Amino acid sequence: MAKTYDYLFKLLLIGDSGVGKTSILFRFSEDAFNISFISTIGIDFKIRTIDLDGKKVKLQIWDTAGQERFRTITTAYYRGSMGIMLVYDVTNEKSFENIKNWIRNIEENASADVEKMILGNKCDLEAKRQVSKERGEQLAVEYQIKFIETSAKDSLNVESAFYTLARDIKAKMEKKQKEASNPAGARSGAHQIRANEQQRKPTSWLSRCSLL
Amino acid sequence: MAAQNKAEGGSEEMPAAAAADPSAEQKERLIAAVKKEVKQLMEEAVTRKFVHEESGGVTALCGAVEACLGQGLRRRALGLFKTSSTTALLHKIAKHCPEAALVSARVLAAEGAPATRSASGVERRPSAPRPPLCKRGSGSLLSGSPPTSRHLWIRIALFERQLAKIIEHLVNNANRYYERDALVADPDYGSILSSLLVGPCALEYSKAKAPACFWTDPPADELVQRHRMSAGTTTPPSVRRPILNFKRSLNASSDDGSSSNTGTGKAAGSSAKDYVESLHQNSTATLLYGKNNVRVQPKDVEEPMPGYLSLHQTAAGLVIKWTPNQLMNGYAESEGIDKSALRYHLVHASECQHTCVLCSLAPTCTVYRRRCAGPLCIDCVYWAMSLQVCVWEVVYVHVHRSQASDALILVGQDGVQRPPIHFPKGGHLLSFLSNLETGLLPHGQLDPPLWSQRGTGKVFGRGKARRRPLPSLCESGETEEPEWEETAGDYVFRIVNNAIADREAMRHSLLERAVQSPPRTPRRPLASTSTTSSDSSTMSVDCPPSAGLNGHPPLTPIPHQPVEQAASIELVCSTMRRQIISRAFYGWLAYCRHLSTVRTHLSGLVHPIIVPRENAEGGLTDERWLAMTDESGAIHDKDEVYRLVYYGGVQHDIRRHVWPYLLGYYEFGSTAEERAEQDAACRRQYETTMSEWLCVEAIVRQRDREATAASIARLTEASGKLKPTDNNDTSEVFEDDCSVISDNPPIVSPEPSENEQRRPDKPVLSRAPSIDEVDNIEMDSERDKETKQNGETENGDNRDVDVDSLKDLDENEDVHLKSVVDNPDMRRESIAEIKRLAEEIVQKGDGRGLLCSVDSAHVNGTGSDFRSSIDESGPSPHQQHTSVIITNPSVDLAAGGSPVSGGTTAQVSPARSPLGVVREESQSAGASFDTLEPADRNAQDNRSNCVSPASSNGGVYSNELVESFALNLHRIEKDVQRCDRNYPFFTDENLDKLRNIMCTYVWEHLETGYMQGMCDLAAPLLVMMREEAHAHALFNSLMRRATDNFPSGQAMDAHFADMRSLIQILDCELYELMHAHGDYTHFYFCYRWFLLDFKRELLYQDVFAAWELIWAARHVASEHMVLFIALALLETYRDVILANTMDFTDIIKFFNEMAERHDASAVLSLARDLVLQVQTLIENK
Repeated sequence: MAKTYDYLFKLLLIGDSGVGKTSILFRFSEDAFNISFISTIGIDFKIRTIDLDGKKVKLQIWDTAGQERFRTITTAYYRGSMGIMLVYDVTNEKSFENIKNWIRNIEENASADVEKMILGNKCDLEAKRQVSKERGEQLAVEYQIKFIETSAKDSLNVESAFYTLARDIKAKMEKKQKEASNPAGARSGAHQIRANEQQRKPTSWLSRCSLL
Repeated sequence: MAAQNKAEGGSEEMPAAAAADPSAEQKERLIAAVKKEVKQLMEEAVTRKFVHEESGGVTALCGAVEACLGQGLRRRALGLFKTSSTTALLHKIAKHCPEAALVSARVLAAEGAPATRSASGVERRPSAPRPPLCKRGSGSLLSGSPPTSRHLWIRIALFERQLAKIIEHLVNNANRYYERDALVADPDYGSILSSLLVGPCALEYSKAKAPACFWTDPPADELVQRHRMSAGTTTPPSVRRPILNFKRSLNASSDDGSSSNTGTGKAAGSSAKDYVESLHQNSTATLLYGKNNVRVQPKDVEEPMPGYLSLHQTAAGLVIKWTPNQLMNGYAESEGIDKSALRYHLVHASECQHTCVLCSLAPTCTVYRRRCAGPLCIDCVYWAMSLQVCVWEVVYVHVHRSQASDALILVGQDGVQRPPIHFPKGGHLLSFLSNLETGLLPHGQLDPPLWSQRGTGKVFGRGKARRRPLPSLCESGETEEPEWEETAGDYVFRIVNNAIADREAMRHSLLERAVQSPPRTPRRPLASTSTTSSDSSTMSVDCPPSAGLNGHPPLTPIPHQPVEQAASIELVCSTMRRQIISRAFYGWLAYCRHLSTVRTHLSGLVHPIIVPRENAEGGLTDERWLAMTDESGAIHDKDEVYRLVYYGGVQHDIRRHVWPYLLGYYEFGSTAEERAEQDAACRRQYETTMSEWLCVEAIVRQRDREATAASIARLTEASGKLKPTDNNDTSEVFEDDCSVISDNPPIVSPEPSENEQRRPDKPVLSRAPSIDEVDNIEMDSERDKETKQNGETENGDNRDVDVDSLKDLDENEDVHLKSVVDNPDMRRESIAEIKRLAEEIVQKGDGRGLLCSVDSAHVNGTGSDFRSSIDESGPSPHQQHTSVIITNPSVDLAAGGSPVSGGTTAQVSPARSPLGVVREESQSAGASFDTLEPADRNAQDNRSNCVSPASSNGGVYSNELVESFALNLHRIEKDVQRCDRNYPFFTDENLDKLRNIMCTYVWEHLETGYMQGMCDLAAPLLVMMREEAHAHALFNSLMRRATDNFPSGQAMDAHFADMRSLIQILDCELYELMHAHGDYTHFYFCYRWFLLDFKRELLYQDVFAAWELIWAARHVASEHMVLFIALALLETYRDVILANTMDFTDIIKFFNEMAERHDASAVLSLARDLVLQVQTLIENK
């Protein structure tokens, strides 16, 4: 299987337990919804390749356990990620308040230029809403992070959230590439990944035939 | 592969269809063919989510449909005798049928569009290479007319989703176009045909998505399946391999065959995968040539076997592949055929006893034993026979033409001959060679070239090729092989690789002159994955090519090299050799030392004494269990129990009785009475604990409600304020709600969350004018809020709460106590009961009038529960009754130790009135509680006594404690709600039990608190024990070990470290792969396995077995059985992992996708084998 994508982005979903991280991911990767999701233990990830301005972008989205007890494990995945989705539940005040903690967590563990985005999930449950959209927006403005309310159940904004994040990462990456290509010493994440991928294939081919 | 059969089948039926007088049988056959194709296509669609337009299934279906349509067609009616009469038919009906018109236009466009008229609809899309299967099907046909063009219109109609309609039209108007006895004219078959096609017409066909299959990773299933197909060509799992090179091997008998294989393993594995890929979809290789029924005689088989020969152009060069027909046609039929052919050499071993040496994955198939190799399953036998030869490894192509057949022998660089390939008569060999020659260009060529003659195509260069002069020196430094000349039709071609010729020549000559037995050049002999040639090829590694197999004259040195230069080079080479050897030796020594340290470390993982396995296969059955029980109901022979469980598991019926022993809850040797006492005590304890935390829960609930109300109020206020300005830029998502809210901005609704849970669709914030009921409630609620009273309102179908009266009553009360009991279905009775106790306690404990409103633990807000409130002002007699009669067995037990009959059976006692109810009664004027029976009063007192210790604490629950419990409670509820909902056991009632177990455990271990995953651990216990208190006790025992696995403990890191050591010792190849990637040496992909004892990896019944194994193993073989199960899982898929060179992400994805799909019994028995292996290893030291 030739990996003919142009970019590989690693994304991460974090947020309190039960806010719907797995559901969002499932909605995005399988376009389906399942009310009976079991809590995520450890980590999982799903892949979806999207077309972004003519480039094939492979999104590798990591899903983490929400309970802060597991943060020691989940933070191990912060480092490699290029984009992080902070998810809260609009029907759960606490999960919204915890977004700040999660952001602090990111600042401590993730690379400094990671793209972030806040998702207020379960916005279909308007009747149970505890956190208004305005508060979400306020918070987003405060941290200068993009914000969108989503519903994995009704498939609202999930696509666009991931596309937005991916587009931001791509823009940032291309900008960096441009900067890097002018002065010497270019080192750009996406380029590296791409090069690596291409390298990887031939080596595996060689090993196939020559190691025999 | 079945698709090919179909394609052939379809073409068979074509003439049949054209026959003048078709019988019913024939129609049956045609319809059956369509059915089969439809089924296959739908299956493909299900597994792949979409069907590629060029899929073989589509072609086959089109063929089958065409056959049906062609049958009994009145050609005369069409007035045409075109090549494709059905196409003419289409154009004909286009006048009457709009769908046909559309398709007809498309067909014309497609036929006219490409510059080359002959190009079919498929070829106008250059996007993806044609799947080889498809090609293969057409391989025997004329290359000029691809089969697709014949079915072009059907194809297009299918993709346009019009086919079913067109056929329907045809069926309806059959008399116009068809003979009377035609299939389409038949009322039954005709409608069957059209309805069959509805399904495929609804599918998603894609060409645009076609590349997607190249850049999405294959799902785990597919990987496993591919691997299974290619299993025979990969290395045997490490179990069968010598563990450490310098140790005596554990199973020397089966190693002969496999050890010769190990060298080829890695590359063979990946090329096998490549092979399978080349049959599936093929982005890296193009198929140059394919031919059916080419016969090859593998080593262990007497007769040449027919198979499929193909020539592939890949990035690394040309590859010739041959696969036995049995593999191409699928396993099922191969089973039947092969036995007669193979019996001579394959001794049929007893069935299912052995795991195949090559594919540990297929232990259930019939196993054969080959002559010196281990047992093989039949698939692997065939896989072992298949050939894969890289053309660059081949130096000579011998051609023997005889009367019977044309044989072609490939001779490797090392002189090893591949098994002869027999082509059927008639130009096939020639066309193969000409394809080969074309494929070799531009970097290589056949020497001598095939002659090209105008008009007749290529023929053998007779005069030249025969008896080629023997050049003593050729470019690559090889001697020319003497030709043999058995028949007049023998030819030898040399394959010349220009690209590497020079470099090759240089190196080769140097080494051969300098060293006696030269190391091989990069062109190694083993491009063949076949084990048939592996013996000979390993042998040849040690021989210089000149002394190759066939006893050719030895190589003559190259005369051009000056002698002095040769001498100096000789010196250099010998020095190098010495250095290499010494370095290798030191490396080996260091490695041995390291491994011995690791082994010492491992010795702690297993018990030193190997417990024998005799008679333990059956496991612990009912009979054995009974036999072991003495008259007092005691079980004494614990070692035997453990041993039986370890080797054979527990019969499901008696698990409930055995588990408490295994988990150490019951003591071995305890009598039945002792155990009953223990149970009773445990239950009492459980009830007590439960009543304690239920009080706190009541407080938590109250606080929650306040908080919810507050935040909703704030939200509503905010939205009320913001709305007018905000309305314009609200995203469309909320448009509806916004508009509604802005209609009624001031409405405030402090509805507790329960309300909305039950009817999530109805907006509560807004006034929905159509729903009067809701209106009322909201008005009430509004008033409620004003009075700071958090009333619980009931609504839904059985809403019967009169909020007004409630409000009136409570307006001036400090304490509003309201309890909601679950009714008519009694599933919440126990909770409700204990809740009552809790209220009581809270009231007693906090005399100041703690606001305490207990609702019926709305844990699982499923929305279907019927509830009724007891404090309504005008209760109907029925409701009164139901709310009162429910009582809780567990409470009864707490009161007087009365027998408990399961957790759910309700003992109906006429009334029960805890203090709280009495008090409530006085408040709520519910005069119906007057009738209290004296006997019950008595029990009541008891109960109060029972819970009084808790209640005395009731007042001193610190804020901290309440908050910490609240936090845990919320987490538990979140997780319990979503725990194993797919499993039918977990109804709301049982989820409540699970919640209680969790809360009780957490209450007892508040410093640890709830951690995600505990639910998963408790769930199987509850499933097994059914009874809360009991399950809780077992959970307690289980957690004693498991706590350490959670992030607060240290066990997980230890597990990872142990895993690493184990893999290093037992499967160094896998270890190397992990190290090569470096990113999963931390073994996080095993995290969930260890945390939950594989609960999420296996299905429930398998979880039971795995857990028993783990528990029993502590006493039998290893304290760390989980490690060995993990290792077994890894080993089961090691070849898949190796073949795909999975990195960390791949492996996580793979195992997450494979969850609950493992063959648990195989994994568990492999785990036991691994324990044994490590034990043996340590014992031998």
